[in-house]
Amino acid sequence: MMDLLFTILLDALFAGVASIGFAMVFNVPKNALIYCAIGGALAYTFRTIFLNFGITIEISTFFASTLIGIIALYWSRKYLTPRPIYSVASIIPMVPGTYAFTAVISLINMNTYGVTPELIVQFVENALKAGSILGAISFGLALPSLYFIRYNRPII
Amino acid sequence: MISFYALYVTKSKLIFAIIQKNLIDIRDMEKITYEEQTKITRVIIKAAVLMMEYGAESILIEQTAQRLGRALGVSSVEISLIPSAIVLTTLVNNQSVTTTRRSHHKPINMSIVYDVQKMVIDSENKKYDSNLVLQTLKEIKPNYYNRWLVVFMVGLACASFAYLQKADWAAFGITFLAASIAMFVRQELAKKKFVLIITFGITAFVATMIASISQIEGVSSTPNIALASSVLLLVPGFPFVNSFLDALKGYLSMGWGRWLHAMLLTFATSIGIILAVTLIKYQG
Repeated sequence: MMDLLFTILLDALFAGVASIGFAMVFNVPKNALIYCAIGGALAYTFRTIFLNFGITIEISTFFASTLIGIIALYWSRKYLTPRPIYSVASIIPMVPGTYAFTAVISLINMNTYGVTPELIVQFVENALKAGSILGAISFGLALPSLYFIRYNRPII
Repeated sequence: MISFYALYVTKSKLIFAIIQKNLIDIRDMEKITYEEQTKITRVIIKAAVLMMEYGAESILIEQTAQRLGRALGVSSVEISLIPSAIVLTTLVNNQSVTTTRRSHHKPINMSIVYDVQKMVIDSENKKYDSNLVLQTLKEIKPNYYNRWLVVFMVGLACASFAYLQKADWAAFGITFLAASIAMFVRQELAKKKFVLIITFGITAFVATMIASISQIEGVSSTPNIALASSVLLLVPGFPFVNSFLDALKGYLSMGWGRWLHAMLLTFATSIGIILAVTLIKYQG
């Protein structure tokens, strides 16, 4: 139990560092950096918890990014800051980079060494996973703000 | 009888006061001449173009323009957004000014978006006039971090991502090296103001070439994770998320435009990776 908790904490720390790095690429204001780090750590931890309940990775990602969307909405109304500043940096640790990369590599291999059933399976599996996780992230982020939007009312 | 008369007097006074107040309102509106309205329109569209070029979502651009317009004294602001331009109309008592501006894709910079947003909220509270708003807009400087700090942090971020994907420590170190050098290359290319697609392709090529050190026998047991994580600094997160947010809130053409932009950047990254991988295989 303690072991699991330690792993989760360490993962959250690294996820926070990853979020800060990407927030710096997008040049977020200095006072928002710490919130990006907290958001990234929370997103990854939420997803790990949902995965441990035995939910599939797409649905866990969807739930985690919905929660991050709600938290970012709260922060943006509190500090009068555009919402994507917090939410986009926070979901970066969940990006399906390895799946997408493996899909591209299998395409290259198909082109060089000829098409085999194994390579096709590898490509389709990884591309599907990458696509569905990306879709889950974007829909999850957008849903909370859609609920709070009313006609003729400012979003911040 | 007297009380009736008093009622009549107060009532007529009240009506007179209302009429007078409206008259003052109308006189205030009439004070805005055509030249002043043109100036206000130019200030509003300047703010809107700044927000669009540096990556704000469409609903934020529209609401910011409308709030700024109300704060500067025009009765309504209508805006039409397409991915490469903004058309904006302001209305003051039967007099309208329309103007169009081209907008170019620039590297995402959230601090500028934040500053414009803050300026609009200030102008609502403190009653700025158009000269002061223009002055504030001109003084907005992007909040650049120290470039070596960014290089270090991006390297660390990509390495952290490799750690989260359960890479070993050799892959962690190689990812850090590759991502840092790639970020340095990206900054150099950005300084020369290249098109984003070229920047992304070259950066992906450099990152993959350096990360392929991990493919040498016996260096790392997880070479693929190092290769995948070192190009992660090129994920077009903002265009992708913005495209979904725009499309879901009814700005369909903006959503398509931004989605295509994100896809083009992803293609550029893939081409860089493919070139590097092919070169490595050719060399053995």
